[in-house]
Amino acid sequence: MTSALEKTALLSVAGLTKDYVIGDLVTPVLKSIDFDIYAGEFVAMLGPSGSGKSTLLSILGTLLKPTAGHFFMLGNDLTEADERELTKFRNRNIGFVFQYHHLLPDFTALENVMFPAVASNLMDDVEAEMRATMLLTRVGLGHRLNYRATKLSGGQKQRVALARALMNNPALVLADEPTGNLDRESAHQVMELLAEINAESGTTFLISTHDAEIAKRCQRKITIIDGKVDSIETNPTAKQNLAAA
Amino acid sequence: MRYEAKVALRYLLSSKLQTALLIGGVGVGVLVFCFMSALINGLTSFQIEQTVGSIAHVTIEPREQTPKVLEAPNGTVVLPTVLRDNTQRSQIRAWQTVLDTVLADELVRIAVPIVAGNGFITRGQAVQPVSITGVNPEQLSEVAAIAPAIIKGTADLDLDGIIIGARLARNLSIDVGQTLVIRSDRGRERDVKVRGIFSIGIEALDERVAYMNFKAAKALLNLDNGISRIDVKLYNLDAAPELAANFAAATGLKVTSWVEKNKRLFDAIQGQGSTGSLIKFFSIVTIIIGVASALLLTTVRRKSEIGIMRSMGMTKGFINRVFVIQGVLIGLLGAVVGSSGAFGFTTLVMQLAVRADGTRVFPIDPSQGAYLAGIMLATVASTVAAILPARAASRVDPLEAISQ
Repeated sequence: MTSALEKTALLSVAGLTKDYVIGDLVTPVLKSIDFDIYAGEFVAMLGPSGSGKSTLLSILGTLLKPTAGHFFMLGNDLTEADERELTKFRNRNIGFVFQYHHLLPDFTALENVMFPAVASNLMDDVEAEMRATMLLTRVGLGHRLNYRATKLSGGQKQRVALARALMNNPALVLADEPTGNLDRESAHQVMELLAEINAESGTTFLISTHDAEIAKRCQRKITIIDGKVDSIETNPTAKQNLAAA
Repeated sequence: MRYEAKVALRYLLSSKLQTALLIGGVGVGVLVFCFMSALINGLTSFQIEQTVGSIAHVTIEPREQTPKVLEAPNGTVVLPTVLRDNTQRSQIRAWQTVLDTVLADELVRIAVPIVAGNGFITRGQAVQPVSITGVNPEQLSEVAAIAPAIIKGTADLDLDGIIIGARLARNLSIDVGQTLVIRSDRGRERDVKVRGIFSIGIEALDERVAYMNFKAAKALLNLDNGISRIDVKLYNLDAAPELAANFAAATGLKVTSWVEKNKRLFDAIQGQGSTGSLIKFFSIVTIIIGVASALLLTTVRRKSEIGIMRSMGMTKGFINRVFVIQGVLIGLLGAVVGSSGAFGFTTLVMQLAVRADGTRVFPIDPSQGAYLAGIMLATVASTVAAILPARAASRVDPLEAISQ
């Protein structure tokens, strides 16, 4: 991986393009996307369904390869990395929160949160348990540590998923419609939590959503329409939290 | 590896019924494997014991002397005819030296010098042909178990004693303690007393064979200077062919192993062994198919979990190991259950399937169940069976799985 770009940009996307090819049919999904995200930012990615938000998030999460263009994170050109490097990078530096919680149903809340650290030998059991307990307490689930994932409510599961995303202290958390499956109250709680954690720890969040209310809480809004960046707006009312700035 | 094992174990425990069925399936396969081993090996041992128990493992006999044909001038057709010398009985003359040589080998359990020949037993007007076997009294039962087969009298072979078969005794209407005259094919006669009557259960032996004291038989058969053969019993049956070749080279005599004399038995044993192997092979194949299909279904059911693990940065190797470990655990547990069940079942069959006379219906031997081989093969088979699902799981596209 090559070192590059400005020191302040945590994530830098340059000319990112993605085409889906089925037989002779080529469907362009992302068309030369460019933007930067700085460390500690709380960014919303807006756009209608089918605009390419999820595809972009998947590429930035190193789960999908772009057709063309580059994206850099922590000075590494991730488009040039092989699968083994990407897997390791993802484990160390990227946290995911999906619309569906995707918790491991046979594990407790604590084990689910510990999983990314222990299974990859990033931490030993004691250290991982301490951090997972702290994170679960932080998201308001200190009293549900040893509950099986299946025994938790929808909002609780999503909070466990958030704690799990933060477990390896990632530089970037990618959240794809994180409140899409929740009722209004739970959605509000989860969004509050994301904002609080961003403010407290300086963890960078990129949240894909089509909910304008959620976007209002973010410092910047990147709007994607038809596979292109339509606009990048700064929200002057949202609290600025640029850790690296 | 520790965390992969934890995930694998958790997966197995979360679907208790499926896991129990899988372990049960592997167990049945191993049970069939071990049961067939116990049956086939037991049957083989039984057949060999039945055959070899009453015969010598190695027999040393005089070599048949064939005159050498001298080279004839070119164009001369030679049609040799051998006229055997029947004036002298074929015998091993320096038998004591041969006996010492044979006994010096540590694989030899015992070597019994034997004089043998044909004769007639007469009693009144009744005449019966017999095959006379002269043997040292203390070695009477070393080759064939004669003493345990005595149904009347004793196995005491003094110089004037004879032991005859039950059918021969019935034909001659003779009983223990009575005297009869035995005449050899060399024209020598001797009065002997019946000391014992045996019944081996083989008609030809019970009607034709008579055992005499070694020295008395030597005189009767006109073998004053030699013996007819040496019967050798070994500690290890399998060493017989090699030892026979060694003895032949060392003594220059005709030496035959029991294997050579019982080729048909070996064909039969090989046939049943192959049948058993085929059944065992299919039981292992069944295990592979069962475990592979069940784990493949698990990979489909766990697809989204696999996807999220991959997105959390777990490597393909991690996912691979989770499923292979499941295969190992299923195989090992199933094998232990199956082999334990097989031992219990074979023991039960051995104890319960008994005829009225106490003999067993099945010559099954629980100690020959090849349990360790069963456990190892089933574990390896189950592990191999898990490779395909493991590969399928590791190839799950995390994006596709998560978006489901």
